[in-house]
Amino acid sequence: MWEFWVRSLNASTIFTVAALGEIIGQRAGIMNVGVEGAMLFGATISFIVTKTTGSYLLGFLAGIAVGALIGLLHAFFSVTLGGDQVVNGMGIWILGFGLTAYIGYPYTGPLGLPRLPAINGLSPFFLLSLLLAAGIWFFLFKTHAGLKLRSVGENPSVAEVSGINVVRTRYASVMFSGALMGLAGSIYALDYNPVWNYNFLMGWGFIALALVFFSMWNPFLLLGGSILFGALWQVSLNPEALLPNIFSRYIWRTFPFVITVIVLILMSTKWFSSRWGAARPEALGLPYEK
Amino acid sequence: MDVLSTNEIKHGDVVLEARGITKRYPGLVANDHVDFEVRAGEIHAILGENGAGKTTLMSILFGLVRPDEGEIYVFGKKVNFKSPLDAIKLGIGMVHQTRKLVAAHTVLENILLGHPKTGVILDFKKAAEEVARLCDRYEYKLNLNDKVWHLSEGEKQMVEILKALYRGARILILDEPTSSLAPPETKKLLETIQIMTRDELAIVPFITHKLPVVLSVSQRVTVLRRGKVVARLNTREATEQMLAREMVGREVMFNLERAQVERGKAVLEVQNLSVYDEKGMKAVKDVSFSVHEGEIFGIAGVSGNGQQPLAEALAGLRKAAEGRVLLDGSEITRLSSMERWKRGIGYIPSEQRAVGSIGDFSLVENILMSYYYDDEFCRRGVIDAKKIRARAEELVAEYGVATPSVDVLAKNLSGGNLQKLILARVLSRQPRLIIANLPTQGLDVGATEFVQNKLLEAKKAGAAVLLISEDLDEVLALSDRIAPMYEGRFMDILPGGEAEREIVGALMAGIRQKAAEQ
Repeated sequence: MWEFWVRSLNASTIFTVAALGEIIGQRAGIMNVGVEGAMLFGATISFIVTKTTGSYLLGFLAGIAVGALIGLLHAFFSVTLGGDQVVNGMGIWILGFGLTAYIGYPYTGPLGLPRLPAINGLSPFFLLSLLLAAGIWFFLFKTHAGLKLRSVGENPSVAEVSGINVVRTRYASVMFSGALMGLAGSIYALDYNPVWNYNFLMGWGFIALALVFFSMWNPFLLLGGSILFGALWQVSLNPEALLPNIFSRYIWRTFPFVITVIVLILMSTKWFSSRWGAARPEALGLPYEK
Repeated sequence: MDVLSTNEIKHGDVVLEARGITKRYPGLVANDHVDFEVRAGEIHAILGENGAGKTTLMSILFGLVRPDEGEIYVFGKKVNFKSPLDAIKLGIGMVHQTRKLVAAHTVLENILLGHPKTGVILDFKKAAEEVARLCDRYEYKLNLNDKVWHLSEGEKQMVEILKALYRGARILILDEPTSSLAPPETKKLLETIQIMTRDELAIVPFITHKLPVVLSVSQRVTVLRRGKVVARLNTREATEQMLAREMVGREVMFNLERAQVERGKAVLEVQNLSVYDEKGMKAVKDVSFSVHEGEIFGIAGVSGNGQQPLAEALAGLRKAAEGRVLLDGSEITRLSSMERWKRGIGYIPSEQRAVGSIGDFSLVENILMSYYYDDEFCRRGVIDAKKIRARAEELVAEYGVATPSVDVLAKNLSGGNLQKLILARVLSRQPRLIIANLPTQGLDVGATEFVQNKLLEAKKAGAAVLLISEDLDEVLALSDRIAPMYEGRFMDILPGGEAEREIVGALMAGIRQKAAEQ
């Protein structure tokens, strides 16, 4: 049982870190549906760097940097050019999917280094994700910079008349958001499952994206959602251990995705928006023009 | 930081002065050598119709626009604003006509947002104490932890005023401060700004209409017309009539003749009507009334109390959930809009540009929208271009729409002219029932007078008029019967001639006891 929970919490770490990134971006009004793409870049680049240099630290730094670069690209397209954020996000995913498959292919196989230390099987990154969630919550709701960031996502023209640089705030948020996605990918590739395979992320980025809506853009609710989905994921990998002989494991494996789809459909209904819609940043997805 | 310190400003010091402000735009002098001054502790109103140059002047004083000529002095020092930030730093605060607040944030968060002295970590406790002190001082009650979208219009406006004061404003520019407030809220606002002048704050409201507001609180008035200052008056010496004459440049009739017309049979009968709004909430709740020939039935209410869904339901643009609507005794509850127009309903929508006209169509084509189903103008589906053009020219002349030609696109007309065009189109069909939804909203004194007179003429000619307005004075002046509407219900139906302003105002705000006591 301990093993099951440890695996669940370790999996939740990756959801949490990536979704925290997405929360920061969305709170500033920029939606990035290409979480999966940014994570694939982070995972692949960090894996290659660590495998060739033998340094975990360099790997993580490279993963974070490439994520921030993806964020910069997304910010340029959606803030400076005012393009459709969903379309560009899909572009990032497709680019990440294709390009990382190509550059990562020669490195297929295990990392071949001693595993990072763990506490009784629990990854230290889980603790990091708790700290990140608390830190981002504090930043968003207790600091002036966080208030500015949220204002930019709610009503950029009001932020502007209050003396806030909307463009700069959005760039910084989206780059930080990308960096966290890159970090999440690195944690997956260097710690959670240090083996490079074709399409090894299997849609985790999309689950992280759904979790953002699920969390009502609140880091603490997100933690709960991540742990729930981490556990679901473990059940789907190994259903016999918990609930033997109910469904085939292939049906179990679809569960996290089916729930994701159901959550997203519920969130987009009138019923939901008339009750909980206030949590959604009002200017989310809208380009800002003076 | 002591936000309440009054420095060394003495009562009567000139705190803001404009000398010879001139701003030219292609083909137009928006401000032509405008001079005026504001003293500490005074309310100095700037009055003018739309297009008189108020907006330009306001933008110049707040650093949004730079003047071509002229000088601005703040606290005796010559200034040169490069952006609003410069103006804010020197103690000028601006409260825009449209709210500049983040709806999802709390009152306190909105006040703190962007404040230069706010630390890295927000000190909510200290800030709350300081803002609460401001509130106490100006006798205004406000829960600082409420989310802004819960607040009423008047409270939101006060949040903006507090935000400006908290930033250290000594001179407050208010753009149309009373335009969206219910009467009790207007009263509260006026009381509050009067208290503020005790602290030697200078308050400069810019006003288009609602002259009584100007007269009741200000000490001085500057009137602008076509970019020039045409009058500077002490309010004590001014009358409403005088100010209107200066603004418009001719006499304006204030006492509209409420001609006594024999009330005929009922044209519109509404029985237990309920309507849902776009959010699926019941916005009109069990409303019953009738409108007769030769009668103006006025619905008074602050926006968002169900007037819009009611008007749309009567015009056939929104489904009625329950109840019946009868026109001349026959049921029309489920008829299409077209069928209703043909039976004699004329609809003047509140959104002139979005619903009342098509901006990219010429004036002829816009007129055509009420004529294309008429066999006289359109035979077997082919439009008689000559005839409709002649009709359009006739109407444009008759209603005094200022335009170089009827081929101009509707989007190029000013608000007042566009409303005249819509009125011409609707009234020329000689409807039995006219539904006029906010017909004078946003119009200046001259255009308002025109629209009101046209409605009175239609009434005299025997039409039934349903007038929906947020302007209580307008409803009182025009209506034969008045229904104050609050949260989807009629609070009462009162006879127009005797209805007291106070009572109707209270009913509009949902307060019933007052009426019962009297």
